[in-house]
Amino acid sequence: MLLPVFTLKLRHKISPRMVAIGRYDGTHPCLAAATQAGKVFIHNPHTRSQHFSASRVFQSPLESDVSLLNINQTVSCLGSGVLNPELGYDTLLVGTQTSLLAYDIYNNSDLFYREVSDGANAIVLGTLGDIAPPLAIIGGNCALQGFDHEGNDLFWTVTGDNVHSLALCDFDGDGKTELLVGSEDFDIRVFKEDEIVAEMTETEIVTSLCPMYGSRFGYALSNGTVGVYDKTARYWRIKSKNHAMSIHAFDINSDGVCELITGWSNGKVDARSDRTGEVIFKDNFSSAVAGVVEGDYRMDGHVQLICCSVDGEIRGYLPGTAEMKGNLLDTSVEQDLIRELSQKKQNLLLELRNYEESTKAELSSPLNEADGQKGIIPANTRLHTALSVNMGNDLQDAHAELGISTSNDTIIRAVLIFAEGIFVGESHVVHPSIHNLSSSLRVPITPPKDVPVDLHLKTFVGYRSSTQFHVFELTRQLPRFTMYALTSPDAASEPVSYVNFSVAERTQRMVTWLNQNFLLPEDSNVQNSPFHVCFTSLRNGGQLYIKMKQSGEITVNTDDIDLAGDIIQSIASFFAIEDLQVEADFPVYFEELRKVLVKVDEYHSVHQKLSADMADNSNLIRSLLVRAEDARLMRDMKTMKSRYMELYDLNKDLLNGYKIRCNNHTELLGNLKAVNQAIQRAGRLRVGKPKNQVISACRDAIRSNNINTLFRIMRVGTAPS
Amino acid sequence: MGSEMEPLLRAWSYFRRRKFQLCADLCTQMLEKSPYDQEPAPDLPVSQAAWILKARALTEMVYIDEIDVDQEGIAEMILDENAIAQVPRPGTSLKLPGTNQTGGPTQAVRPITQAGRPITGFLRPSTQSGRPGTMEQAIRTPRTAYTARPITSSSGRFVRLGTASMLTSPDGPFINLSRLNLTKYSQKPKLAKALFEYILHHENDVKMALDLASLSTEYSQYKDWWWKVQIGKCYYRLGMYREAEKQFKSALKQQEMVDTFLYLAKVYIILDQPVTALNLFKQGLDKFPGEVTLLCGIARIYEEMNNSSSAAEYYKEVLKQDNTHVEAIACIGSNHFYSDQPEVALRFYRRLLQMGVYNCQLFNNLGLCCFYAQQYDMTLTSFERALSLAENEEEAADVWYNLGHIAVGIGDTNLAHQCFRLALVHNNHHAEAYNNLAVLEMRKGHVEQARALLQTASSLAPHMYEPHFNFATVSDKIGDLQRSYVAAQKSEVAFPEHVDTQHLIKQLKQHFAML
Repeated sequence: MLLPVFTLKLRHKISPRMVAIGRYDGTHPCLAAATQAGKVFIHNPHTRSQHFSASRVFQSPLESDVSLLNINQTVSCLGSGVLNPELGYDTLLVGTQTSLLAYDIYNNSDLFYREVSDGANAIVLGTLGDIAPPLAIIGGNCALQGFDHEGNDLFWTVTGDNVHSLALCDFDGDGKTELLVGSEDFDIRVFKEDEIVAEMTETEIVTSLCPMYGSRFGYALSNGTVGVYDKTARYWRIKSKNHAMSIHAFDINSDGVCELITGWSNGKVDARSDRTGEVIFKDNFSSAVAGVVEGDYRMDGHVQLICCSVDGEIRGYLPGTAEMKGNLLDTSVEQDLIRELSQKKQNLLLELRNYEESTKAELSSPLNEADGQKGIIPANTRLHTALSVNMGNDLQDAHAELGISTSNDTIIRAVLIFAEGIFVGESHVVHPSIHNLSSSLRVPITPPKDVPVDLHLKTFVGYRSSTQFHVFELTRQLPRFTMYALTSPDAASEPVSYVNFSVAERTQRMVTWLNQNFLLPEDSNVQNSPFHVCFTSLRNGGQLYIKMKQSGEITVNTDDIDLAGDIIQSIASFFAIEDLQVEADFPVYFEELRKVLVKVDEYHSVHQKLSADMADNSNLIRSLLVRAEDARLMRDMKTMKSRYMELYDLNKDLLNGYKIRCNNHTELLGNLKAVNQAIQRAGRLRVGKPKNQVISACRDAIRSNNINTLFRIMRVGTAPS
Repeated sequence: MGSEMEPLLRAWSYFRRRKFQLCADLCTQMLEKSPYDQEPAPDLPVSQAAWILKARALTEMVYIDEIDVDQEGIAEMILDENAIAQVPRPGTSLKLPGTNQTGGPTQAVRPITQAGRPITGFLRPSTQSGRPGTMEQAIRTPRTAYTARPITSSSGRFVRLGTASMLTSPDGPFINLSRLNLTKYSQKPKLAKALFEYILHHENDVKMALDLASLSTEYSQYKDWWWKVQIGKCYYRLGMYREAEKQFKSALKQQEMVDTFLYLAKVYIILDQPVTALNLFKQGLDKFPGEVTLLCGIARIYEEMNNSSSAAEYYKEVLKQDNTHVEAIACIGSNHFYSDQPEVALRFYRRLLQMGVYNCQLFNNLGLCCFYAQQYDMTLTSFERALSLAENEEEAADVWYNLGHIAVGIGDTNLAHQCFRLALVHNNHHAEAYNNLAVLEMRKGHVEQARALLQTASSLAPHMYEPHFNFATVSDKIGDLQRSYVAAQKSEVAFPEHVDTQHLIKQLKQHFAML
């Protein structure tokens, strides 16, 4: 059993996930954590004596260890590490919704202060790819930015949605680190500098990521899932009804391999083996865990695992010694083994009894109706599954359908479908009422996103009166573009927006791609030349035209820029195209974007005015407050009262002003997000190098406030030289 | 002869000779003659020129150097938390003077101000910046210690200047701000600059000035560093320091200017980041080697951080560049005086005298230096001069106090007694005089009187350790150990390194232990 080597109770709340440890003076590790009222506290137990001679106010020893930093804004992320290698000590980085501050605690001075309009939801510090200086990389609304120690942004790119977590990890094992980004659209993206090298789709918002070792990394989702990936393959995952607040990789049992430490919202801390996800250590706090970090907090040369709870309780654990043989839980291995084995024995006994009974039944009488009760079905029973498109009717929207039927008169009692990201809670059970049992079943499926999904089916098959059923397990893959139905081409309704590109492939290959990625009716026969197909989206009825000429020129007509991007990415990966330049035009979307850009400008100027107004008012408030206090000291109660009345009115004004400003800010954020998303979408229309070119060119155009250039880049894919 | 001159040229000449009132009057006449509207007609270049000139003249009348003159108001001091660190490491903050790191003269030799800093040789607004603990203390302090601190920095000096300017134009203000179409002016860069300065300095309407500046900088496509500096200044006045910092930095990237460095440093000082400010100054010195204002800024910061030896070094550097820099001479002089080199200090003060500084304080200092340098013949004449030059009661009180000091030095306790009494007559808040008088009374054996005087002194100046310590000693002698202990502890708070106090406390503790 592992006991904490130290426990501290700081009388400060700790905001969840805002904990960082760093050597802010170069030698002593100190804990920094965000607390209430826009403050960050630094817990420094090492230089106590120094503090005493300095401060003239007497403080209790524990209090004097903690010093507060005023940020005056809600802290949204906190990080620490070496940002300027010449300094020789760590820098504290504090991100808020509007700014990023790099602060040198030792010298009480800023390294830089940058306004970041996209906000900073997550922060990570380290070197990225070939960029030599260490970067502070922040993730905001759809944007990623990396700053060096002077506040120059050396790295910028956009991503699909609001960023919630970041991690640096050598993903492809080339000795350079890649950036992992977990975002609100459930994706984990891997950036090699500003190029996406991999994308993994999860089932919920990715709240934390942490590198373990090599290409292995841990992740946590907002629905309580915690797991480990190795490259793009998931090793294991577990799901809990609590939320994982913080995850961290730490070798708690001294076996040389990091375990995944998770701090949960119910105060539990557990360490799980990276290979199996098996719990090897756990402990409980009285309140939710705010953060898990590691550091040599006792300055004795051993690194401890440090867990902090939101109430300010801090516990440090030393890794178990070799004598403990990784046995960190209360129970002994032997007990566990015995329990496991007896469970197995129980299961085997049960199975044996089943077999015995059925052989008995077979002996007693040949096939009759009573068989059903025993759960026997014909040996040649097969299960057919078919995916099709249902155009819907008045009662039901259009949807994709999974049809399941048996090959004979057996019935389907229930179907358990397990698929990620399609159903709420990941699995779906269909069990018709006892009167409606039949040998076939149709399950409506509406995938929210255009991604290929594996459907894992478990079907209970038997007779109407059976009490025991046979379970058929099978897996069906849902093609990427399930939600599009083949319709006859109709020139009149062809969307005006299009993307245009050429590939060096024959149309036959294109047909193969079509068959793999769309749900085509079985009797349909796609012509090779001219290759021209038309689909209707089941989600919003939008049209999709795909044409291909003999020369390999492909035109995709759709009003949905996301869909166009998906199709291009899918085609590119199917044909293994590395670089693809695309010409695109989305007049409707571009017009909307133009409006958004105009709005952003407006909101910016309004924002400036409002801030100036508020600053002016707050100056007034200050002077009124002092005057009122002045009147109180002179016992001039009448004046004091009138001053406080004025103060009250002004305060009300200020509050109203604040509300207006808040609304303005949310609108502004929304619009900025739309702009970032537009850039990202324009990037998705291209593949490889052209993609990165488009993204960086768009950024330059936005910086120089040149809207026309921006649209030209989005259309053509290169900046006009 | 002047009447034959072209009026605009004459007005221009007045402006160049800094006769702003005459210039403004002349411009008014000219504007009355030519069709004069709220705004100058574009087809009448003369009236436009007169309009600009008048705006500039009115601005210059009330203009004060913003870089130097800045005083934190009570409200900012008490209510704002601009500094990031609440308890920064000693030596990295202006808030906690506390420890003396560099081994300069201790408090026992060099007296400290209420803020706990050694007194400087040059009076600046920021040298008085005590940081009182509570608002009550803050409000009360200015009443007793003749430092009129403004309530807020935006309501203080600048408003006073603004209202003063209103009085000068009886027929309404020159430009009616509420009727201005800022967008139109922002398109005329030359006009806009004059108008901006007028709005900011003369009318003191920061918000409007900010509007104009942001419109103008937009018009210039963010390429004019001047507008950025102005926006920064507006933000600074509004108390939005981070925004100001951004503007100044961006301006510095475009065009490096000494002024911009100084403004940016001011922002960092407000944010309580002296180290950043020092780095900035040094960065500025790389671009403008030997720039006096930058050097002086460094010296001031060192001085405020209690690093008087570094400060003196930089003041010397200043003198190398500009040997008539009064502030540097005075600071080095006082530094030498307090480090027991009155002869050297005397030379610096005489240099000041040569440069035409002729006031009570200087003669006061000269007198003291002469006394400690044993040039007794000059001592009394200096003080006589000082007395005759004293402009107000407080100055006279200081002179009498110093005279009393000298009387103590030559052993004439009667004269000393009289001098301190006179000092108190002139200024009955003179805590040092009370303290010294008490010591004299004590020597005469008037214990109760001494105790009363000491109590007055310690209530007037709680930051001085001497009255507390004296009180503790007296109480100890007459056997009032409890009060002695309390006073000794106060003394220790004011001056932790004071050996005698520590000794006394130790002794008292032993007494208590025996009981």
